[in-house]
Amino acid sequence: MSDPVIRTHGLTKHYGKSRGIVGLDLEVDPGEIFGYLGPNGAGKTTTIRLLLDLIRPTEGRAEVFGLDSHGGGLAIRHRVGYLPGELRLYGSVSALELFSYFGHLRHRFDPADTARIAEALDLDTTREIRTLSHGNRQKVGLVQALMGRPEIVILDEPTQGLDPFVQQTFYRLLDEVRADGRTVFMSSHVLPEIERTCDRVAIVREGRLLAVERVADLKARAMRRLELRFAAPLPAGSFADVGGVRDVVVDGSTVTCTVAGPVAALFRAASAFDLVDVVSSEPGLEEIFLAYYGDAGDAAA
Amino acid sequence: MQLRSVLGKSIHDQWRAVLAWSLFAAVLPGIYVALYPALGTGSMMGTMQQFIDQMPEAFKALFAATGLDMSTAEGFLNIELFGFVGPLMLLAIGIALGASATAAEEESGTADLLLANPIRRSRVVAEKAAAVVLWTAVVAAAVWVGVSLATLVFGVQLRLDHVAVALVSLALLGIAFGGVALLVGAILARRMAAIAIATMLAVVAYFVNTLAPLVTGMAGWRVVSPFYWYIGNDPLRHGLEPAHVLALVAMAGCCLVAAAVVWERRDIHG
Repeated sequence: MSDPVIRTHGLTKHYGKSRGIVGLDLEVDPGEIFGYLGPNGAGKTTTIRLLLDLIRPTEGRAEVFGLDSHGGGLAIRHRVGYLPGELRLYGSVSALELFSYFGHLRHRFDPADTARIAEALDLDTTREIRTLSHGNRQKVGLVQALMGRPEIVILDEPTQGLDPFVQQTFYRLLDEVRADGRTVFMSSHVLPEIERTCDRVAIVREGRLLAVERVADLKARAMRRLELRFAAPLPAGSFADVGGVRDVVVDGSTVTCTVAGPVAALFRAASAFDLVDVVSSEPGLEEIFLAYYGDAGDAAA
Repeated sequence: MQLRSVLGKSIHDQWRAVLAWSLFAAVLPGIYVALYPALGTGSMMGTMQQFIDQMPEAFKALFAATGLDMSTAEGFLNIELFGFVGPLMLLAIGIALGASATAAEEESGTADLLLANPIRRSRVVAEKAAAVVLWTAVVAAAVWVGVSLATLVFGVQLRLDHVAVALVSLALLGIAFGGVALLVGAILARRMAAIAIATMLAVVAYFVNTLAPLVTGMAGWRVVSPFYWYIGNDPLRHGLEPAHVLALVAMAGCCLVAAAVVWERRDIHG
């Protein structure tokens, strides 16, 4: 196993009296897409800004490529592409001018690669940025983060403001990064996005790391709430003894329940009746924390 | 235009505003020079000189610290241009641009994106400061062009090389207070606060230079004022005094170094 690309030791940041993050120990391996999941205010942006040396740790340290985030900051930033969570761009330049500016500051401006990514995202690079919509500005932010093939791409809530179609394009661009063997560290407060894109995920709440999981393991235990609608009312107690199914409520012809893991058993049982419709909803983050990490979560809080 | 550096970006962002300010800075002194023959040949100037001679010393001092002599074009310019309006124009550009240097990036939230690039924060400060120096010099040059054109058109006797030397001193004053604004901006990350504090210090420095000589026991304090370093030697008549030039340059340099050190060390406002 090669050395981690990102490694933090007891990384802690306080803002005055308020908490940023506390005692974070994290390792991100080369070539993986690493998700950083947590509700808003969990300390995701704080962690990312520490990695980029925009802010300095109160205690502990962060290493990127084995270099200290502060002492080796310049060398690190030569190899990083970054999308801030609250993206603010220069209004008076075009996207193309911005890419050229940052490309030259990074000494690795690659107009062809930049144009290719901008085209994939269907971004008009000639317009002044102040005239662009929120979604298009987010695309500008993504292009400047991905252009020039940085060894690690650090993205803070990358899909906010993107429509679903553009999100799919973004996922394809991430697949490209993965195919190159490069590394992605991305934060999100949406579980499905992490499940769609990431190899591993760290889950943070209130400034503390709750768990690091393989996404595949998380999916195997994935919990979803299902609502099954049938043509006719069902007898009370239906599905109560189906494996992996919990919290069954039968209300006339509608059944709601929670399923952990595969849904095959439930659907086999349901096929005995006249099934009309199925509605599936992902549980919210708080519910996941409570379901998976109830005890740890309470301890952290 | 291709942007390649922080300095290039500053030039791209600021040239329009500086151009407008330069036009103003050329026209206003030009008007002063153009007015001089009319004042100088008529009875107006004699009346003004009489009026000046009768003023209380404290009142005279407010206008200029170099003696009030309206009988020559130099004396006239010293009062009208170099005593008040000139410093105002050069301080305005120096302080406005110095205050924006890093504070505007932080206030507008673009600092995160800029500093995630492989560039040292001190390098950013230095290039932004270079833009302040450049633009202040451009505005001073515009004043010279305005004065020169008016001199030719209206046939005023004026040593333009002396005017240039005095404008160098004036530009250094603007750069020095631009440095103060840049330093305050680097500390507080607040553009308006940087403008306010640098302006307040400039006003205090102005009054220390003009009023200190009139107050018993305070005369020695004049030398602490950057305004004294700028005009105490009367650069329009006597040229540059190396020690005074050095003092202004040192003030600007210290502010720059302090700004770079402060900005390197603290958390960037996101």
